[in-house]
Amino acid sequence: MKLKRLAISEEGFVFDPETGNSYTVNETGLLILKKLREGLSLEEIAEIMNEEYGISREEALRDIQDFLEAMARFGLWEEKYG
Amino acid sequence: MVKVAVSGINAVDNPGPGLGIIKGLREGETPVSVVGLAYDAMEPGIYLTDLIERAYLLPYPSEGEAPFLNRLLYIKEKEGLEVIIPALDAELPLFIDLEARLSSYGLKTFLPTQKQFKLRAKDHLPEVAEAIGIKTPHTLVLASYEEFMKALSRLKFPIMVKGLFYKAFRAYTQAEAQQYFHAIVAEWGYPVIVQEVVKGEEMNVVGVGDGEGGHFGLVAIKKLWITSLGKIWTGVTVTHSGLLTAAESFVKHFRWRGAFELETIVSGDDIYLIEINPRFPAWIYFAVGVGINLPARLLKAALGGEPERAWDYPAGKLYIRFTDDLVTDLEVFQRMVTRGER
Repeated sequence: MKLKRLAISEEGFVFDPETGNSYTVNETGLLILKKLREGLSLEEIAEIMNEEYGISREEALRDIQDFLEAMARFGLWEEKYG
Repeated sequence: MVKVAVSGINAVDNPGPGLGIIKGLREGETPVSVVGLAYDAMEPGIYLTDLIERAYLLPYPSEGEAPFLNRLLYIKEKEGLEVIIPALDAELPLFIDLEARLSSYGLKTFLPTQKQFKLRAKDHLPEVAEAIGIKTPHTLVLASYEEFMKALSRLKFPIMVKGLFYKAFRAYTQAEAQQYFHAIVAEWGYPVIVQEVVKGEEMNVVGVGDGEGGHFGLVAIKKLWITSLGKIWTGVTVTHSGLLTAAESFVKHFRWRGAFELETIVSGDDIYLIEINPRFPAWIYFAVGVGINLPARLLKAALGGEPERAWDYPAGKLYIRFTDDLVTDLEVFQRMVTRGER
């Protein structure tokens, strides 16, 4: 999993030691990245977002999927998700 | 105190590796006194007396072996020189040819063999890449204008037009390609290399081979900013496992001896070999800065010692090049012009 190799700072700065590319993510992106690394499922992350930000689980799941699509475009996410 | 001579002290917009090497040597375990070797009295290193204790002009390698060797022996005599670390492509064949004789006079080097040096010719790249399990961009080696025109009709633009050893231009149109072709032929002659452009990340590896298939360390970097001449201005260390494995295969397969740099383009899982440099790159201080002091390790190897081989460096270290200036008297320049030394 490519996520494992990323260096992620608390401020949302993400560095890929393999490619040398760096990215910035907002607070929500940072939360998703961290939870994915902890091995949580998309549904579990949506549940946390629902609790933290008060948005519906469906909306949170859509946001997560949008975020993962963006990650896939940068070659940082390649796993199938439902 | 070891007296070491280093060339490539032309820290200009296309900088030589000399100053980076010298900074590395000065940070190494072995105390050094540095002699700068220059080809022009205006080379900036001559004026950096904190880094370079003494400086000498050398005759151009094109003037032949005898004046070159005599000059080196003169410097040895005057300075008590022990080791030479040459850093420029144009002088390397001469140093390699002279290696045994220099050694018989007590002047030590740590250089690739003539056969290894020849691998850097761009028409050898596909062979090298195959041997170490990576790719090369689709490459055509052309020996005439007719062949060039035929190749142009088969390639998709943009393309790279390159000399066998020096110069590389990116051409977006046929007219541009023709212009670069003529420029290369006029300056360097045939063959001219035409290459497809591969999109990806520009990553380079520097290392020092021990000549027996092992090495004294590798450092891989990605260029973040480059100048209009394609020279690195900022960069970041990476730990691309495929690239580092390829570099280890390179050292092992060719039993590389001495410093080298592999220039590559990394596109997903594909690694394309673009260039082999049989010397340290101008950004060599980057390796020193992340704890892998390759110039100091090479010096130790040249002196017959066993250098450190650990090369566990961190990814994500940043390299920043910057310009600097200094003001000095005309006297040093005057001495370099009249006596060829200071």
